[in-house]
Amino acid sequence: MAAPSAPPALAAIEAPRPGCIGDRVLRNEDARFLAGHGEYLADLDIPGTREIAFLRSPVAHARIRSIDMPPGAEGRVFLLKDLGDIHPVRAVLTTPGFRGSDYPALAADTVRFVGEPIAICLGATRAAAEDLAQEIVVDFDELPPVVEIEQALDPASPSLHGWPDNICFVSTPGGGEVDAAAKAAAVTVTREFRMARQCVVSLEGRGVLAYWDRRLQELVVYSSTQQPHVIRTVLAKLIGVPEHQLRVVAPDVGGGFGVKNNLQQEEVAIAALARRLKFPIRWVEDRREHLIASPQAREHRVRLTAHADARGKILGLEAEAVVNAGAYSIWPWSAAMEANMVAGILTGPYAIDAYKGRGVTVVSNKAPLGPYRGVGRPSACFTLERLVDEIAAKVGREPHELRIDNMVRPEQMPYRTVTGKLFDSGDYAESVRQVAAMIDVPAVRARQARQNGTGPRRIGLGFASYTEQTAHGTDEWIARGLTEVFGYETATVRFTPDGKLIIEAAIQNHGQGLETTLAQVAAQELGVDPADVVVRHGDTAVSPYGMGTFASRSMVMAGGAVGRASRQLGEKVKRIAAHLLQVKPADVTLANNCAVAGARSVPLKSVTDAAFLHPENLPAGEDPCLDETTTFQPLSGTGAFAYATHAVVVEVDTGTGLVEILDYAVAHDCGTMVNPMIVEGQVQGGVAQGIGNALLEESPYDSGGQPLASTFADYLVPGAPEVPTVRIAHLETPSPFTAYGIKGMGEGGAIAAPAAILNAVNDALRPLGVELNETPITPKRILTALHDARTERAR
Amino acid sequence: MKPMPFDYARAKDVPDALAALADADAGARVMAGGQSLVPMLNLRLATFPRVVDISKIAELRERSESADAVTLGACVTHGEIEDGEAPEPAAGLMRHVAAGIAYRAVRNRGTIGGSASLADASADWVTTLLALGARFIGRGPDGEREIAAPDMFLGPYFTAMTDQELLVRIVVPKTSRDATWGYYKVTRRSGEYGLSIGAVILDPAREHASVVLGAASRTPLACTAAAAALRGAPRWTEALETALRTAIAEDLARAERPFEPHEAIMVETTILRAAAQALGVS
Amino acid sequence: MKVSFTLNGDPITADVEPRTSLADLVRGEHRCTSVHLGCEHGVCGACTVLIDGKIARSCITLAVSLDGAMVTTLEGLADDALMARLREAFRTHHGLQCGYCTPGMLITAHDLIRRKGALAEAELRQGLAGNICRCTGYAGIVAAVAAAMDEHETTKSAASIAAE
Repeated sequence: MAAPSAPPALAAIEAPRPGCIGDRVLRNEDARFLAGHGEYLADLDIPGTREIAFLRSPVAHARIRSIDMPPGAEGRVFLLKDLGDIHPVRAVLTTPGFRGSDYPALAADTVRFVGEPIAICLGATRAAAEDLAQEIVVDFDELPPVVEIEQALDPASPSLHGWPDNICFVSTPGGGEVDAAAKAAAVTVTREFRMARQCVVSLEGRGVLAYWDRRLQELVVYSSTQQPHVIRTVLAKLIGVPEHQLRVVAPDVGGGFGVKNNLQQEEVAIAALARRLKFPIRWVEDRREHLIASPQAREHRVRLTAHADARGKILGLEAEAVVNAGAYSIWPWSAAMEANMVAGILTGPYAIDAYKGRGVTVVSNKAPLGPYRGVGRPSACFTLERLVDEIAAKVGREPHELRIDNMVRPEQMPYRTVTGKLFDSGDYAESVRQVAAMIDVPAVRARQARQNGTGPRRIGLGFASYTEQTAHGTDEWIARGLTEVFGYETATVRFTPDGKLIIEAAIQNHGQGLETTLAQVAAQELGVDPADVVVRHGDTAVSPYGMGTFASRSMVMAGGAVGRASRQLGEKVKRIAAHLLQVKPADVTLANNCAVAGARSVPLKSVTDAAFLHPENLPAGEDPCLDETTTFQPLSGTGAFAYATHAVVVEVDTGTGLVEILDYAVAHDCGTMVNPMIVEGQVQGGVAQGIGNALLEESPYDSGGQPLASTFADYLVPGAPEVPTVRIAHLETPSPFTAYGIKGMGEGGAIAAPAAILNAVNDALRPLGVELNETPITPKRILTALHDARTERAR
Repeated sequence: MKPMPFDYARAKDVPDALAALADADAGARVMAGGQSLVPMLNLRLATFPRVVDISKIAELRERSESADAVTLGACVTHGEIEDGEAPEPAAGLMRHVAAGIAYRAVRNRGTIGGSASLADASADWVTTLLALGARFIGRGPDGEREIAAPDMFLGPYFTAMTDQELLVRIVVPKTSRDATWGYYKVTRRSGEYGLSIGAVILDPAREHASVVLGAASRTPLACTAAAAALRGAPRWTEALETALRTAIAEDLARAERPFEPHEAIMVETTILRAAAQALGVS
Repeated sequence: MKVSFTLNGDPITADVEPRTSLADLVRGEHRCTSVHLGCEHGVCGACTVLIDGKIARSCITLAVSLDGAMVTTLEGLADDALMARLREAFRTHHGLQCGYCTPGMLITAHDLIRRKGALAEAELRQGLAGNICRCTGYAGIVAAVAAAMDEHETTKSAASIAAE
């Protein structure tokens, strides 16, 4: 196990200084985006580039009998056999019992989902490439598809990968005495929940551009990715180009949310082909490809049982989570990521001592499942928090009070959960109390009493609480059985001779504001103006090795690395400044682009001038130049846990089945906030995606395995009228395990929203005998439930 | 997501357009604003050897008003109607409907004639023009003919116009000055096509009421029983609501297919709310 | 097929296939890469531009249909005073994250303010409904547009007082 490396010196910030950690600094990256000068993959202008259209499978499950090429296909159409000696992706867990399967870069013998790439077609324009793709005739020998979870669980269904059945992996987390809890319980509540399959929908699709650089003798792969360094590592292995001759660059990336946090088959195929061609080739994923063929998300069926005492204190939980992972296992997360995560965190923010979980991953003829903001947690939170409300209803208590009673208490911190996670810090119940005050529970109850039953529109109130594991350390990834361990992050901080600062980081900034927040961290340590700091990222050629931006990790991990590097660099700056000022280094502080000692000061520019251009002015024994590279790992191997409680008031129209959100409040704690403006933007943006999850977004398939949502007319994402402005309260309990006490927080908004909204809708409709436990709650689902309840009552 | 190749011709006038349509083998397709056609081309859901652009034909951009009707050229845009740049025949209903179609950027190019020609039952104009009793003037090799709204819309992408005919203008009868209307559209996401649309026009001076249900079936459904229940109703009452519910059930029973329970609830709501709005209840 | 129109004030003539969208034309040869493609079927709004002063989807507009038109992309509004206020407001109110929807959002907001002047929040949100942002959850965008709208109204009324 790697040694923890956070120096305790990077302590939580007491009083924020302007431009430093804790300040609402406006973003450095905004100017280029506001001018329309963002440069995304499709904007790259490299002479001679030919455009790619993939020929993709139109059927869900088939053997390929033959492929007939049109005239002129020579040199323009490429199959797997044309890509040279490359390996299929094999994304497995090291955990015993995991069933592996190969995912070839292009399908050669068998296709297993609609949209699976079969051939690369080149054209001077995308249109010409699509024309070519359309002329290729593939003779498919269709096989019966396995589509829904129930089919995938049925041992009689055809096996996709030659296993005895279609079960990829079963995990059984838990601990404590569930049977004893069941015996002791006054109430036992069981429900089945479903969360629909979703598409991720970054507004910019995925995309890859690759070419062989003759001068540098390296393969250059531009990709709209969240993790260039690890993509380089795996690409090198798969296509046989050594890593030092492979450069992966993420240009501006138009949203990721997890869908660009995988090795993509298209990356493998295009990189392999580009190695063999004399001109650049580019693929820009279009919206239909994104909706049917990019890694999809969710599709869970969870059966959950809670045993509680007469006051609703939860004594034990039993869960079975089945996740339809689609056709293939995605590198590096594997097909089992979702099911394992759901089963592993189902006890939520509560002190539950007895838990028996079962996470089942099944494969099917749908697009492979990958990470999407929150990963298994929106489903786990939805499941547990819905059940908490049902327990509250059963024992006759206000749901938020029941939450308070069940939560891990501050004095229990750090708290080891029954599934082995180490909660680091915080007052979970306080988030409930604060958000309950913000939403004004008595006022909402009074409004319900006045309004509900008088017309078609009914008011409901819903809460949901969660913890969000972030900045996962080495232990966590090992425990998950990943073949590569993402437990650290790296940064280089370097001055230029003119006194300016450059940060080189291996993370990838695609909306998170890291070009600003990492500069704030440097400003904290070095006294530089954050607006003047350049942050370079997303390019294997400009930074030391690191893991990338995902799992709410970059601020903690890269922030920690920048903090450590800046602190160490600052010591050297102080030594040089002390020499120039003829004072002791201990007396020097860095602020306002100067080194200051009492009444005397010297501009940083003079320090850098000495360091780079006038080594004769350096103190004896001091090396020239000013740069520093460090890595960072959190002190706890399971990372830092942010948490929050969301409260939402909805109005359900029983005449149309539409749900309007009247008020939405969040009380959250992500430890030390580097930039509260950016934190609020992440909460708000996450809630918007959670609203989509709760009300709108679903990728249904027909019984033949055809995806039915292939345009934005079918796959609805929330617009400005559908998303309210969220009221946000900050709690700020520093993590003892990270630099400055920062906790990650990028996914939280999306985690609780489906649970809170479903709870609110159920609160509104419960008196009518309606209970809804499936997302999204569409008008059809709500009206059908209302109709069924009415029919039931009439009986 | 790019279209298949096609030829493009810009018609300078209606005869020019008709000439392009006359040769059936040429497979020409008319494009007005292109806001539905181009997405279909981009998705390669539709492909035509030749696209004939009629959006610049001056005659099709004309609009006029007589004592009893407003006439709109087929290429008047939704945005122009929204902005009052076309005469309003129905006490603001047309402007209201136009402003609710998709998004402004689409309304600036999408046309009323294009929408009518696509005959998508979930499109606002199809429902509205049926409720207003509009007449559609087509011109073809044999000259002009007029098609009444109930005969116009035969199914999605299927109207009474032949392949050689061009919809040139739409005549919308004016309502009386004291006519009222209600328009209720259920969408899951703002600007999306309606799941259900109710259009109600009450014109007591002419003892006329019309009720149309859009989006719920392949063609908009004229709800004659509901209209009869509303004819002459002075205000919204519980008795009226009860009578309307019965009438709506009667109308729905005539639809081309039975409604699922959830659909029945939604369409009933849609019509009731449009009717209530027409009677001044919001 | 040849087509001539004005792009950001400059007359251009292009020889394109009829199937070429306005978006592909201006992005390619003319490097107006503020025009982003997010769906290519007219829903997401990332490709919004001005055609003859009116906002339009450049992804579902055929370039050949624009002979004689005046096309303006965000690049062409670099010196526009209202757009400058909008850009500043978007920055101040954190109205952007990844930046992909931003040019289309700015052009739509610009049009909304010019056409409508003051709007209540619900109407403002309706006015932005045709532009999808997947990052921000719209709160910062709505606040930014409202602020620029207020400032625009104040400037307008100040100008009219001065004119009296």
